[in-house]
Amino acid sequence: MHRSTTALVLCLAPMAICATHSASTGPDLATRLQVHGFASQAAVHTSQNRWLGDSPDTSTEFTELGVNASLRLSPRLLVSGQILSRRAGDMYDGAPALDYGLADLKLLYSDAYRLGLRLGRLKNPLGLYNETRDMPFTRPGIFLPQAVYFDKVRNLVLSSDGVMAYGELYRGFGSLAFDLVAGRPLIDDNVEWAYLNQDFAGDLDIDGVSWLGGIWYSSLAERFKLGLSWADLRLAFDPDAGAPFTIGPGQTDILYWIASFQYNAEDWTLSAEYAREPIEWRGYGPLVSDRDATGEGWYIQGTYRLEPQLSCFLRWERGVADTADRDGTELETGSGGLVPAHVGFTKSLSAGLRWDINRHWMAQAEYAYNEGTFTLSARENPVFRDHSKYWSLFALQLAFRF
Amino acid sequence: MVLFCALILGTWAPGVAFSQELIAHAGLPIDTLTRTQAQLYFTMRLQEWPHRQPVHVFVLADSNPLHRRFAKQLLNLFPYQLRRVWDRQVFSGTGQAPRLVADEAEMIEQVAATPGAVGYVEAAPSDINIKPLAVR
Repeated sequence: MHRSTTALVLCLAPMAICATHSASTGPDLATRLQVHGFASQAAVHTSQNRWLGDSPDTSTEFTELGVNASLRLSPRLLVSGQILSRRAGDMYDGAPALDYGLADLKLLYSDAYRLGLRLGRLKNPLGLYNETRDMPFTRPGIFLPQAVYFDKVRNLVLSSDGVMAYGELYRGFGSLAFDLVAGRPLIDDNVEWAYLNQDFAGDLDIDGVSWLGGIWYSSLAERFKLGLSWADLRLAFDPDAGAPFTIGPGQTDILYWIASFQYNAEDWTLSAEYAREPIEWRGYGPLVSDRDATGEGWYIQGTYRLEPQLSCFLRWERGVADTADRDGTELETGSGGLVPAHVGFTKSLSAGLRWDINRHWMAQAEYAYNEGTFTLSARENPVFRDHSKYWSLFALQLAFRF
Repeated sequence: MVLFCALILGTWAPGVAFSQELIAHAGLPIDTLTRTQAQLYFTMRLQEWPHRQPVHVFVLADSNPLHRRFAKQLLNLFPYQLRRVWDRQVFSGTGQAPRLVADEAEMIEQVAATPGAVGYVEAAPSDINIKPLAVR
């Protein structure tokens, strides 16, 4: 709480300074201040297993609201902030939070390069979609490919309070870009549920400074895009001193990286990403034994634009909790049958349709057939034995933007 | 092939029914842009002209046929790519969107009235506050 208040002050202070500064330059404020936002509401039905609420009975507990403002103080300096409210089943209750709040300072810029710093609460630029993952119009479907973007632990990589250096180089062969973030990702109870399988008495938090970064290549006119991005984090558990039942002060080291590919043609886009996540658990005591695992996920998606306002997609994705146990058999035997093998992996085929009705409204429909339950939240589906191995999902979403 | 023909028509036969031209406020001390420069200005990545004047970018709606031809033929970008770049910047707080105008008449009016402005039209009007910009 204290840390987030500090971050809020840190982020809003430059905006306040800037607001006073710009008040003195008066009349063209309207052209330099922009306010944008979005809202979405979905209905989700699953054959079995809970996905964002009581989906077997059709859930409408997936609602997104965001409003942002940005002020260009000079060609060199931009300040911006966004408030996000996200209601997502048992995982998020819709409480508004500062999604980002930052000052962007360009140190050097020309038509050949740019180099700058961002300070405040920053969206982590991981993969093709993480930076704007909550803005429905920017996603490649109603849901991001879960084997790579895990909504069950989204906060682990969502944003950081810290500083980012970024640079871009524009040349005849295309452009090269890099970014490097030093900061503290903002985590929540969902992260504890995902990495410790329940909410023990005590706090799981980021230990020390986390490093995130990315390097990207785009060909001329951005037809072809390649990137590698990563996050290097350590989680540490601080048990409640007086609690009758909890675990030791252990730590979890995570290196999450994504290799990204995208090809853009006029009528279609092909995207593929591969993510790997080596994890080490240490020092939690007998309830959470010391172990290593390497999570892995990938997808390939083709999107075809039938008309400028109408597109459809087909996506195939795979994910495993541990590459050393791809079919989950060790998970099942090691847990004495408490955790079925299919909790350790996911295979999913999805198809969707998107209609951009006008410049404010968009509607989407999506169907997915799944084998395995690796991408389900343990918080929403706490009894592993009750997970159904084969399940399907159908969702509709209506979204608005301004 | 169709795109290629359209490109030839659009670039080499200004004045025909399907053409488009880049225009700027007449005070701008340059007459040409490279395609890379035009892309950087219209993707909102570069906010200053080489002589350090702030850039003001005006665009029509994504679905406007003139906007679609402008994106493809003058910028060599598909309209959905422009939208993607703008959205990514606007909704991560790292940039702003260009200013939207309702039609060509408003485009001309705004570019003429705003020092440092850049936009596009079917054919450059004979307005003393507007100059055409060549893309090479």
